[in-house]
Amino acid sequence: MTMYGIDFLLAESKKGRSMTLALACPYGDDALGAACRAQREGVVRTILIGDEGKIRSLAARDGYDLSDIPLVDEKDDDRAIERSVKMVSSGEADLLMKGLVKTSSLLKAVLDKDWGLRTGSLLSHLFLFEVPTLGGRVIGISDGGMNTYPDLNAKVKIVENAVACYHRIGVPQPKIAALAAVEVVNPDMRATLEAAALAKMNERGQIKGCLVDGPFALDNAVSEEAARIKGISSPVAGNADMLLVPDIESGNFVGKVLLYMTGGKGAGVILGARKPIVLTSRFDSMETKLLSIALGAVVARS
Amino acid sequence: MEQIRSLSQLLDYAKKIGAEKGPKKLSVAMAEEAGLLTAIDEARKAGFAEAILVGNGDKMKAAAEQASVDLANYEVIDERDEPAMGITAVTQVSSKKADIYMKGQIHTNNFLRAMLSKEVGLRKGKNTISHCYFHSVDGFDRIFFIADAAFNMYPDLAAKADITQNTVGLARAFGVAEPKVAVLAAVEVVNPDMPATLDAAALTQMNRRGQIKNCIVDGPFALDNAVSEESAKTKGIVSPVAGKADIFIVPNIDSGNMLAKGIVYFSKNETAGLILGASAPIVLTSRADSTRAKLLSIAAAVALSDFNK
Repeated sequence: MTMYGIDFLLAESKKGRSMTLALACPYGDDALGAACRAQREGVVRTILIGDEGKIRSLAARDGYDLSDIPLVDEKDDDRAIERSVKMVSSGEADLLMKGLVKTSSLLKAVLDKDWGLRTGSLLSHLFLFEVPTLGGRVIGISDGGMNTYPDLNAKVKIVENAVACYHRIGVPQPKIAALAAVEVVNPDMRATLEAAALAKMNERGQIKGCLVDGPFALDNAVSEEAARIKGISSPVAGNADMLLVPDIESGNFVGKVLLYMTGGKGAGVILGARKPIVLTSRFDSMETKLLSIALGAVVARS
Repeated sequence: MEQIRSLSQLLDYAKKIGAEKGPKKLSVAMAEEAGLLTAIDEARKAGFAEAILVGNGDKMKAAAEQASVDLANYEVIDERDEPAMGITAVTQVSSKKADIYMKGQIHTNNFLRAMLSKEVGLRKGKNTISHCYFHSVDGFDRIFFIADAAFNMYPDLAAKADITQNTVGLARAFGVAEPKVAVLAAVEVVNPDMPATLDAAALTQMNRRGQIKNCIVDGPFALDNAVSEESAKTKGIVSPVAGKADIFIVPNIDSGNMLAKGIVYFSKNETAGLILGASAPIVLTSRADSTRAKLLSIAAAVALSDFNK
């Protein structure tokens, strides 16, 4: 089942009880605007944590209505982050979102042993993108944002995080292509060896709930025609839902081609913690920010 | 010359070279496939290429018939042994009877072995041979050159310097007087744990010290701040390359391949490629490439050959 169109996340997020978003330090990057809009559209209920004066003056400047949004006044960034994380770990909120604070500060809090959100798994980033040139087909990429040079064990966890997410958004058996530069196993190219290992681990039931195959080059993972020319027969070939990239550079490049060269929209989320974490960039369009919050909300509803 | 800003313009430019200075001559190893002959014949009809076709005479005849190509327009060398086809074809170029070395159905190993031959090959000393993809992408006002996404797997710094210089040569042949080179990584800051960022910093300095010439190199860049001025501005990056890069030097074959193929499969684009760094341009297309892509690769080789004259 190939997914087309990503807007279903907005509809999905509005079903049932609203999820509550804890947004830490919403001082810029337009995270405040996205969270206010998400509340207005019924995607989530929002709680803001940070310097009340700063937040109110920003909202006044940019014309956001905060009348229905609870605000926890906490002037110190680290304490604001801690309170946000604790809201999520205590169940008061269902997902976390980063405002204008360093990613490393937020993650440190998320990983805190006593009151953080760690699960024993690895944190990983999943980016879903609706690609206009592929007729709106949704392609996932992981991990182009968090893990720099994951080894085989880390890649297994990255796949497991993504699979759990796919199950929650209604794809029961995602097709995952382990990418390399080529589609044959080459002993001199580590990405191809790890791809082969992941495919085998999937066959032996060590990675469940999905179909993993590889190595693939990007072309034969997304285009059936390219796969046919290379003579690759695999249910994943040409039909991949998600591209497992070998390292942060390749993942970053593919993600940024999608964001900057296709005119499409996407949604990103950090997985592997007890609850999803939304981490948008100031360059993301409002649509992409809103979709990211919606994705987080759908994943949070377990 | 005026800067070539799209691959359609490249084709017009090759035609202009053909019209003003005469066609360039391809030497093709194992020209036994109809699709390849179709592309070569289109280049001939457009006036910018002629060709010496090396291969099994019977098989070339059959392929030419299938493609409705008249072999009377070509010099044909009948050669039945595959490794010898490579040697014969490359010798035409090293002996200056032809300008461009082109791969037909010959296995890549045989094609490259001939190219690397000490006696009749095309090596320029120890210079690294590298591949370059070039793309025109909808919404951008210039051609993007990506190297090396196909040939060198995990180049070290010295190889990256060669790759950069090779690619700068091609961009200049396309009329980019002083190409802007962005050395890519996942982030735009130097991070001791990310080797791509260290190589990027070193390449920048090599350019400033005159070790890489005729271009402006800067890095590390993430892709966004290399292509988008707004993104560079928000990140506070001040550099003549930020947001304006022509050339992207990628860390390795994995990331480069995904960048190039991401562009090909996810954006509205036109793409072709060329092998650089030898004493003559080398065209290495795949059977899966469209006739148009093959024609564009030949056009690029013609432009480069003319520029290096």
